[in-house]
Amino acid sequence: MAAGTKVIKKPKRTLADQSFVVELVKGLGVTFKHFFKGLNQMRPGGPRPDVTNFNYEDGIATLQYPDEKRPYARRFRGVHRLTHRANGEPRCTACLMCSTACPAQCIWIKPAEFPVGHPSRGHERFPEEFVIDELRCIFCGFCVEACPVDAIRMDTGIHMTAIDDRGSFIFDKKKLMSIPSQDGDFVTSNDRPEPGDKNYGGITRLQGH
Amino acid sequence: MPTFKLDGKEIPFEKGETIIKAAHKQGIEIPHYCWHPGLSVAANCRMCLVEIEPAANQRAMMLDVLVWDEKKKDYVVSRKPKLQPACQMAAGDGMVVKSETSEHVALARKNVQEFLLLNHPVDCPICDQSGECKLQDYYMSEQATKKRMRDEPQHKPKGQVFGPTIVYDAERCIACTRCIRVCEEVIQDPMLDMRERGNLFEVITSPGRQVEGHYTMMVEWVCPVGALTTSHWRHKGRVWLLKGTQSVCPGCATGCNMWVDVDPRENTAFRNRPRENEAVNQYWMCDDGMLSYDRVYKHRMLHASVDGEKSSSAKAIEAAAQHISAHKGSLAVVLSAQRSVEENIAAVALAKAAGADLYITGKASWDGDKILRNSDQNPNRAGALKAAGVESLPSVDELVHKNHSAILVLGEDAEVANDVVARLRARVPSAPKVVVLATHEQRGAWLGVATVVVPITVWAETDGTFVNAKGVAQAFKRALAPRGDVVTGWEAIVKIAKASGLDTGYSKLSELREAAVSRGIEAAPLKKQDGVSPGTNTPRSTV
Repeated sequence: MAAGTKVIKKPKRTLADQSFVVELVKGLGVTFKHFFKGLNQMRPGGPRPDVTNFNYEDGIATLQYPDEKRPYARRFRGVHRLTHRANGEPRCTACLMCSTACPAQCIWIKPAEFPVGHPSRGHERFPEEFVIDELRCIFCGFCVEACPVDAIRMDTGIHMTAIDDRGSFIFDKKKLMSIPSQDGDFVTSNDRPEPGDKNYGGITRLQGH
Repeated sequence: MPTFKLDGKEIPFEKGETIIKAAHKQGIEIPHYCWHPGLSVAANCRMCLVEIEPAANQRAMMLDVLVWDEKKKDYVVSRKPKLQPACQMAAGDGMVVKSETSEHVALARKNVQEFLLLNHPVDCPICDQSGECKLQDYYMSEQATKKRMRDEPQHKPKGQVFGPTIVYDAERCIACTRCIRVCEEVIQDPMLDMRERGNLFEVITSPGRQVEGHYTMMVEWVCPVGALTTSHWRHKGRVWLLKGTQSVCPGCATGCNMWVDVDPRENTAFRNRPRENEAVNQYWMCDDGMLSYDRVYKHRMLHASVDGEKSSSAKAIEAAAQHISAHKGSLAVVLSAQRSVEENIAAVALAKAAGADLYITGKASWDGDKILRNSDQNPNRAGALKAAGVESLPSVDELVHKNHSAILVLGEDAEVANDVVARLRARVPSAPKVVVLATHEQRGAWLGVATVVVPITVWAETDGTFVNAKGVAQAFKRALAPRGDVVTGWEAIVKIAKASGLDTGYSKLSELREAAVSRGIEAAPLKKQDGVSPGTNTPRSTV
């Protein structure tokens, strides 16, 4: 035997080992343990782990989509909504910043002036028409970033789903204003005082000159 | 020519010229609000302050100032040179002027800018000037600091109606008085005045007056900020979405140079702006010219018709060709003073090939004035006559006395009175077959007798040339794609000639251009700056 050679002893196997029967039963035991555990978790009211913590908890890692859905993060960019003022009108001032910023050119706005006698006439304008083509939209969120008055938001949490006719993807002003946020709000937490409100910036505007 | 140095660059000037004007002529802009090359000097905005170095044997005039010392945490006494307004300071030979290179000038501009923005409402999102506002431009280039004033800004009336075309927002006003000066000096009608001063400054209409007349849009045009807006462009869109194309006003024989601003996404014109041309219109245009953009889409003839039935343009051209080839012997071709030189040349060529008589038509004259408006409402009467190579052509009234059995009319605008049309139509059974190349539905008596109508492009939809009353040939460019089934004007004529077996000798616009040059109609080439895309884009006013 040459120098430096390592001798490894042949392992000794019993008949039980040689026949694999015991190991087979052991292995099946593990399989059935998980099978029954899963079965228990699957029964209505069973001890399912929280869907948001799948990766960190023991248990079934399969989501029964579409019966079960994983909730989106709060920052998820869903379908747009137009936020309301206190009086139910859109906050939008039709500045066209969103449609300018939009890389997909899916926003079309027709600005208009408030009628004579309206307190906002001269101070603001409003969107007579506001249309978003959700099919064209790439959900980049640039419109939300560009908006100077917090009028357009993507915090609805709604993932655009397939609709079987294309026309339904064209959201007009009425549709956009009818979608609430994830929390069910139509307004935003940002203050927007109107002429006449106590906290309205223009202190002397209504008092004339 | 004497010169002075501006930031190290030699600027030539004529005697008596101001620093800012000489620089402006060289394409160098010294920041300014109240100065306008077409108006008198007011020197009230203080934005154009420059540092002028003293002559060799003189001391600079210095001012004692307090400067914040960061180390001492206190103001210390220092000195700075007295700055001069470039708009009022006459240039002198060998003068050394510092504009961009002087720290004192930079600080002065920054402070002026901060003062102007103290009471500004910063309602750029709804302001129609934003995108071409000097306050925005100079904020970015000269100031770029946050507002320091904590007090409530001064509030003034917004959305005041100054007249049928002008709306005034006193909060945005920077008191440059350009609008007041344009009324007095260009429009020569003092419709505007001012009241109060400083924060309370307001532009007002003169007692019992409103902004009215033929040049009201110039009041808005000179406003460097969003204080004055026109009711026509107000809240319509955004200037950065528009694309400016070099054009010539088709409104009268003055031929004012202008930009047509179109939205390429909607293929529609939204406004006209004067284009600087010292020789023709300086910096101005009249209201009718400013509003002529609506000719592009209002009442357009978008479909052909044959014998009163709707038809395609191709079929109408064939029908027209049939009439013309059938009546070659007694054909009349009516040129149009409304249409471009190229189209008239094509029509003249058709007439020559068919041996037809030439007539000329156009719109009736209107009220001219001594400022810009020519009493001839047609932009190209001189060009149409030059195209025909004659001094004058018979008017269409003569047509009644001749027995033409077919008439080809270029453009439906006509001086022809309704009774002429009635008499033409009454010549049953020998009433002439009338082929009209029309642009608009509701204008012109010709459509009343038309057998065939071929819809053709308006001036903004094709390249062309107009020759104005002074004989100046001016080229204009295509700003829009033709609408509907509309055929380019010169192409329609060439196609009709070809289909009726006549050879005009032209098949390209460039050939018509060459023919125009051979007739002595040569327009100065347009600058390259046209055709740029939106955003980066609309060539801004140089003033």
